[in-house]
Amino acid sequence: MAEMIIKNGVVYDPKNSVDGEKNEICIKDGKIVDNVGAGAKVLDAEGCLVMPGGVDGHTHCAGKINTARIMSPHDMRYSPIPGLSGPEPRTKLLRPQVGYNTPNTHAIGYRYSKLGYTTIAEAAITPMMARHMHEEFESIPILDKLALVLMGSNWQVMQYIQDGDSEMLKSYMAWALLASRGYGVKIVNPGGGSNWTWGKNVTGIDDKVIDFDVTPADILIGLAEANEALNLPHSIHVHCNNLGVPGNLPTTLDTMKLLERVKASQDRQVMHLTHMQFHSYTGTSWMDFASGSDQIADYINKHDHLTFDMGQMIFGPAMTMTADGPTEYRNARMFDAKWSNYDQELEDAGGIVPLAYTPQHFAHATMWSIGLELALLVKDPWKVMFTTDNPNGGAFVNYPEGQVLLMSDKKRQEVIAGFPDMTMDRISLPNIDRELDWGEMTVMTRSMPAKMLGLEEKGHLGAGADADVAIYDVKPDKVDVSVEHEAVKKALGFAKYTIKGGEIVVRDGDITALPKGKVYWVNAYENGIVQTEKDRLITDLEERFKKYYSMQFSNYMVEDAYVPRPVEVRPEVA
Amino acid sequence: MQTVTLTPKRSPVISIEAEMITPDVFAGKSDAEIGAIPAWEGNEEITLADVFDVAVDGSADAAGTKIIIDGNVPRVKRIGEAMTAGEIVVKGDVDMRCGALMSGGSITVEGNADSWVGREMTGGEILVKGNATYYAGGGYRGETCGMRGGKLTIEGDVLDYLGEHMCGGEILVKGNARLLPGVLNWSGTITIEGDTTLPGGEMKSGTIFVKGKVLEMLPSYKDEGTEEVDGVTYRKYTGDLSRNGEGVLYVSV
Repeated sequence: MAEMIIKNGVVYDPKNSVDGEKNEICIKDGKIVDNVGAGAKVLDAEGCLVMPGGVDGHTHCAGKINTARIMSPHDMRYSPIPGLSGPEPRTKLLRPQVGYNTPNTHAIGYRYSKLGYTTIAEAAITPMMARHMHEEFESIPILDKLALVLMGSNWQVMQYIQDGDSEMLKSYMAWALLASRGYGVKIVNPGGGSNWTWGKNVTGIDDKVIDFDVTPADILIGLAEANEALNLPHSIHVHCNNLGVPGNLPTTLDTMKLLERVKASQDRQVMHLTHMQFHSYTGTSWMDFASGSDQIADYINKHDHLTFDMGQMIFGPAMTMTADGPTEYRNARMFDAKWSNYDQELEDAGGIVPLAYTPQHFAHATMWSIGLELALLVKDPWKVMFTTDNPNGGAFVNYPEGQVLLMSDKKRQEVIAGFPDMTMDRISLPNIDRELDWGEMTVMTRSMPAKMLGLEEKGHLGAGADADVAIYDVKPDKVDVSVEHEAVKKALGFAKYTIKGGEIVVRDGDITALPKGKVYWVNAYENGIVQTEKDRLITDLEERFKKYYSMQFSNYMVEDAYVPRPVEVRPEVA
Repeated sequence: MQTVTLTPKRSPVISIEAEMITPDVFAGKSDAEIGAIPAWEGNEEITLADVFDVAVDGSADAAGTKIIIDGNVPRVKRIGEAMTAGEIVVKGDVDMRCGALMSGGSITVEGNADSWVGREMTGGEILVKGNATYYAGGGYRGETCGMRGGKLTIEGDVLDYLGEHMCGGEILVKGNARLLPGVLNWSGTITIEGDTTLPGGEMKSGTIFVKGKVLEMLPSYKDEGTEEVDGVTYRKYTGDLSRNGEGVLYVSV
């Protein structure tokens, strides 16, 4: 492949301590290198902002989203952000595009690329759903992808934890990642998804799970310890109990404190807490509900064992889709909205409810504020990932909006000015004047997600990194984001260049090439589990499949054919 | 005052997407300009002049523009879509979604209208002198709000799901309505002068008058005795209780 050199860019690469310097970036064979030959193609960045390609460490882009598409034909006509949403006809290069919260697969690839994002993590997939997810991955162009596998309400997991059989638990986790060609361990409302089979939920980390002698705390600790024993690149990725419930703050704090006792196997967190905005509520009901962001931020500022993402809300129509079945039932009843419900055999629950958030509603306005408060009150940007929990808090095409909100107090105050009085004593955001700089923004949107996931080739521009680069039409040394937030927002939505694996895929906001992305998955089974333990697991699983599953054991595992461009990560065996 | 007369030249088999046939688009344009407006016939891009002879008399703004479709256009969809003012008269049948999203002005269809006439309209008036089919005054697929305002009158009969997801406005059907008129309603008033079946399924609120017979009644409505409205005595029901609804259903006694 040809060599390339990016000149005259203002580079932000926090992992390598580059903070807005006019460095040159050399690319060869899809990788960043220290230098290239004189014949390298020169890309003149003209003084513009250069960052590593964006990494979205938590998005819902394949799997359940397909049901959401079926439920929301009306989403096909929404176009609040021209160029990044709504119907667009086929072109010589591109497939037709539709949708806003639930775009078609191709549009997901195009639009993330336009935002300068090059890697995405599907955040919740059961092994049963994995084959279909990989088929969807295959038709999301350009981006590198990975999937987090739901294990927090899995019967096997709970059985082995109940039995105190940590070897079987480890074996099963490694096997489930292999079976789904998945990357990491996701835990959604631990135990609650299993109780949802009986129309019930759990209310905290110490409730009993029906039919199993375990609690959500047991599940969290069991999976976290096994995750570290397997030396997986990512930590457990946790959606706490009681999502969206006023007064859920103690549950979230309990969960964070619980994990203090687990030791990380490598230089990263032991738990990533996702969409924290939905888990930071004080009060006892919607009447006295308020932001608990100060207590969450205070804890996180004092402890180093966890990271989180915002789950920032964006006003307008959204699509909530989660493995948290009882939460979606509550949403559907509360808003009299339509509802799709899952009970995925032994593996998890789930639900989908389309919603709309409005700044005139005191509760929505409060939730919007909490997401921003969390990101601004936590001092270390390496603990914070920027997300909207796409599309639960809002569609990913709104990332520039959310990012500019973090960078401009003026813009925040403009939005807050339209809030109802009922919101004002529930939030602290009006008194927070911190504005993130480009370095911090680069951490939250690239470097931190890559580190949090254990993706060493992503999120930075040092030699050896994948040549995924985003260049935006923003002159960091000339623009005052605080004031010129609208222009910056537009620039962040339509990258001047997005380079993926050394190839220019976006130029001046338009897609120029459609390479196929890689799929990262973790094989901790083959070398990580000894043969006697493998035999013990398979014997047990065969019995369980006969007894409980609607699928044959032999049909269950995702075959290699579904992952044509895999990057198989094998953790070092301790 | 501007009068635009469109005379159909042929009877297309494949439907034509004609959301540009509105006073808003035609106002101030010449016959040549209107004839040159592109439209889609299936997957083929055509112009209005391919389908219609266009005659324009005068020039005015949207409110002062009257469009006369002088013939039968049963395969022309979306006539009057999102119009805000002016008048459209169709001297024959129209295809689906006539007057969808309209917010003002008036449409008169002298023949029959196909499904989704007046879909999501917010204002203005539609009069269909013949029959309409499914989802008259209904919503877009997947949306939770259908017709929001204005008035839709159908002098003949309608088929199923009249005023589905209706959120406001007024619908009058002088003939019969088939299954489930007012299904999933939030608000608004529906009056059916003929007979109907299972009115108000999952109605949340809103009002339905049935002046003919209810051929089959949903079991989830509460009988509230009789009440006189505008000199007519009705049996009054509230529901749909299956959705904790507070809608009111009046059935003539």
